[in-house]
Amino acid sequence: MNRTDQDSLPDAFGRDPVVEAYKKDVDRTLIRENLKLTTSERIEKMIAALRFAEAVRHSRVKDSPR
Amino acid sequence: MTDFGKLLETLTSASVEFIIIGGFAATAHGSAHVTVDLDVVYQRTPENVERLASALEPLAPYLRGAPPGLPFRFNAETITRGLNFTLTTTAGDLDLLGEATGGGTYEGLLPRSEIRELLGLECRFVNLATLIHLKRSAGRPKDFERIAELEAIQQEQKSSE
Repeated sequence: MNRTDQDSLPDAFGRDPVVEAYKKDVDRTLIRENLKLTTSERIEKMIAALRFAEAVRHSRVKDSPR
Repeated sequence: MTDFGKLLETLTSASVEFIIIGGFAATAHGSAHVTVDLDVVYQRTPENVERLASALEPLAPYLRGAPPGLPFRFNAETITRGLNFTLTTTAGDLDLLGEATGGGTYEGLLPRSEIRELLGLECRFVNLATLIHLKRSAGRPKDFERIAELEAIQQEQKSSE
């Protein structure tokens, strides 16, 4: 296998070019804010987001035209 | 909606040995994504399997996505004969894994786990590096974005040290 082939293969123990491409779009401001929180606070924040998503989902059902 | 607190309290109060993996572990490590179920790797000793079956019985576990009315009984015998179970319970969706892809068993993950205080409970989570390894090993296209975020978290943690 030549060097070019090696570089193009995803490596479980190294860099994966697909993951690297996604990494450019990761919102690091959200991560930095989350890292300031305790584990419980992170989970509570996620559960609050889930509850909100659930509420939005139900509100859409009520507003759909008949 | 999954009641994560209820599921975790049910397992910890019965002294079930388990390690949290998946999206819930990602949240614990700082991920901004939300997850709708709880994924855990459980220890498959006879004693722990008994504790697991007894603890979950009041939550009426049933195979997620299966047609209703199947003669499914979630007991120690069922757990011993099977390995990984995707369940729905009265407290929400729970994935019980005897073995995780790329991570092996409870015993295999134990040295790569950490205890975190969560909602008044002490729960064991897989560590961040291993969580990334598990996601990579699963090889699912839907995980690429998650892996990218987890690796970014790892980088942020290193840069703040």
